[in-house]
Amino acid sequence: MSGNRLFVFQKIIESVVHISNSYRQDMSEKIGKHLAIYGKGGIGKSTTTSNISAALADSGYRVIQIGCDPKSDSTTILRGGNDLPTVLDTLREQSKLRIEDISAIGFGGVLCIEAGGPVPGVGCAGRGINAAVELLQELKVFDEFKPDFVLYDVLGDVVCGGFAVPIRDGLADRAFVVTSSDFMAIFAANNLFKAVNKYAPSGGARLGGVIANSILAAYAPSLIDDFAEKTGTSVIGYVPRSLVVAQSELYGKTVIEAAPQSEQAQVYRNLAQYIDENDDSVIPKPLNSPELKKWAREWGDRIFEVETGVVHEMASI
Amino acid sequence: MPHYLEGSRNSCALHGALQLFEAIEGVVPVIHSTAGCGVQYYLGGTRMSGGNDPFGSPPVSSSNIGQKHVVFGGGSRLREQLKNTVKVVQGDLYAIVTGCSTEMVGDDIPAMAREGRDQDWPVIYANTPGFSGDVHHGYHLAVKALIEQLPDIWKKPEEFPSGLVNIWGIIPNQDPFWRGNLQELGRLLEGIGLVPNLLLGSEQSVASWQQIPGAVLNLVLSPWGELPARLLEERYATSSIILDGLPIGTATSTLLRRLTEQLKLDTIRTEAFIAREDSRLNFQFARLADSYYRAGFQREFTLVGESAQVVGIAEFLGTSFGLLPRTLILTDNPPDSVRQRLVTRLAAIVSGYDSEVIFSEDRSEISDIIRSSEAQLILGSSLEREVSVELGIPFLALSFPLADRIVLERSYAGYRGATTLLEDIGTALLAFSREYHLC
Repeated sequence: MSGNRLFVFQKIIESVVHISNSYRQDMSEKIGKHLAIYGKGGIGKSTTTSNISAALADSGYRVIQIGCDPKSDSTTILRGGNDLPTVLDTLREQSKLRIEDISAIGFGGVLCIEAGGPVPGVGCAGRGINAAVELLQELKVFDEFKPDFVLYDVLGDVVCGGFAVPIRDGLADRAFVVTSSDFMAIFAANNLFKAVNKYAPSGGARLGGVIANSILAAYAPSLIDDFAEKTGTSVIGYVPRSLVVAQSELYGKTVIEAAPQSEQAQVYRNLAQYIDENDDSVIPKPLNSPELKKWAREWGDRIFEVETGVVHEMASI
Repeated sequence: MPHYLEGSRNSCALHGALQLFEAIEGVVPVIHSTAGCGVQYYLGGTRMSGGNDPFGSPPVSSSNIGQKHVVFGGGSRLREQLKNTVKVVQGDLYAIVTGCSTEMVGDDIPAMAREGRDQDWPVIYANTPGFSGDVHHGYHLAVKALIEQLPDIWKKPEEFPSGLVNIWGIIPNQDPFWRGNLQELGRLLEGIGLVPNLLLGSEQSVASWQQIPGAVLNLVLSPWGELPARLLEERYATSSIILDGLPIGTATSTLLRRLTEQLKLDTIRTEAFIAREDSRLNFQFARLADSYYRAGFQREFTLVGESAQVVGIAEFLGTSFGLLPRTLILTDNPPDSVRQRLVTRLAAIVSGYDSEVIFSEDRSEISDIIRSSEAQLILGSSLEREVSVELGIPFLALSFPLADRIVLERSYAGYRGATTLLEDIGTALLAFSREYHLC
């Protein structure tokens, strides 16, 4: 009897060792650098991500961009504005999927994938992201395509566990957050920091840095710098608000494709270069609610003074 | 402080609602949840309640949703399931009950029920995710759904029987003796000239539930019946008599007199009925006396069960049968509002003797309490059999889960229930005494 039990026990130990070995193997075999890009809705995540993808592809890298947003418009400007069936829509229609059914090759050979999701107000988009990511792993997209970079462009705020999937379980190595100097964008960035802070110690993604977007006001860089400093993170690039971006988008293109010689294109190339050359990452220290409010109020006062100052300066010119 | 819960006897809200709907003839429940909820209901509910369950497993319709329904919403799956159910299962009423995943996703269940009603199908719904509460909460949700939604489906009947009394608080299966208990209560009410509206069990259909507004009184037999009584008071201004537990033996006479006074019934008829029943019960006590003293029936006991059972049985045994309620364990997590009342009442059943009253649904904790109580008789669920064997003391299984008895019409309520209880406890004590002293 006890011998029998010992045998069963040994078998259990063997299978645990086997599972942990195969897990380790999976981890070491992760193909390419996986990056997740978060930020408040409408802040320019998809534009920034697509331009970084385009710049990386332009430098000769193999890139996959995965839109993790039910709106499924992450990769639009990489594909000339054409429609692409989403993973979840296709999954709904057919049980057996091929990579070709759910992907399209965009500018510079970027493999574009949209996770998709339910129509607004129905179903669970968070579970959708989870299901889509699982399916991509089952389809061995990364083994087939052998990317140098995989960029996950994730919906606005980390509203529930489903949207934390790309930064959980070691899927992405690093998360980046796109923010403007608007308080709600900073608030969303701080929420992402909370999620990273929660998952990073157990093998989740760490924070690669902050991308300051839509920089227009003079105070904006200092405000975002200050937020980064307070939270133990750093700003990896400042993307000015630019007509070139808007114009390129209207043509269904990235700036890299539509205006490769523009200053704006260089901004994105610099970001891509930073991401390529730096593997720095931190575990951010998010502000708690009262701290964030206090910080915002202080900046409210300072902006008022700065704005007044700017007006005087302009007047003197 | 968080702790492990071993062998809980309180299943989830979905199961509570299912138990109620299945106890009404002609009601067809439709589960909107993942596969397995219906099976769990059978394995952990009906099958564990006195072997009184449908053959194989309950034939419950279920939408058995999968991942794509979670992601994109399961409304269309439910619509399809409802349509198919109406086609293949004839019923007077279809009751949609929901599980955890569909409620997390936020499927619009009221809209689906409305769609069904637009097609002239009698459909009601209850949002019953397991995470919202336990089996008792599920009973509440299902009763509430019936009270609130039935008037939208059928017009109120024009005439009601006079002296109609609705009975609330007996939860099917959670009280393994629910069928017999309701029948005995019905007999008692008829005995004093009232018309019982049992609502659950054989020959109780949707028609019984349509009669609810015409009742002169709501008779509440557990803390779980207070909500329906309150709802009906708000809607139809029906008054209530609220008891904390089942009336057993002499407590029945008190209830019948109270009913007679409150509803201004024929006192002579009531007293004659009580006299007849009391005399029968007294005759039985007299016949039991020899065994009682010879086998030493009088002893301290531990009782484990739902509050309605504990109140009824402990008071009957303590006041009429001379047994001493050492430890009373209430497993149904009664609402905070009634706990103090229950403790005060139960701690002082026998004058000059303090009973210990404990709220717990943890098997391990309950076993430890029984071990330290030094009581010489255990009345509990099948989960307490093990500790009774360990301690070598007599045991009778009478509360949920009841896995080792068959209960079809047996009752532990009213006068006849008192007789049955005496027979069963006496048998348990005698069998034990023979085993140890005669063999």
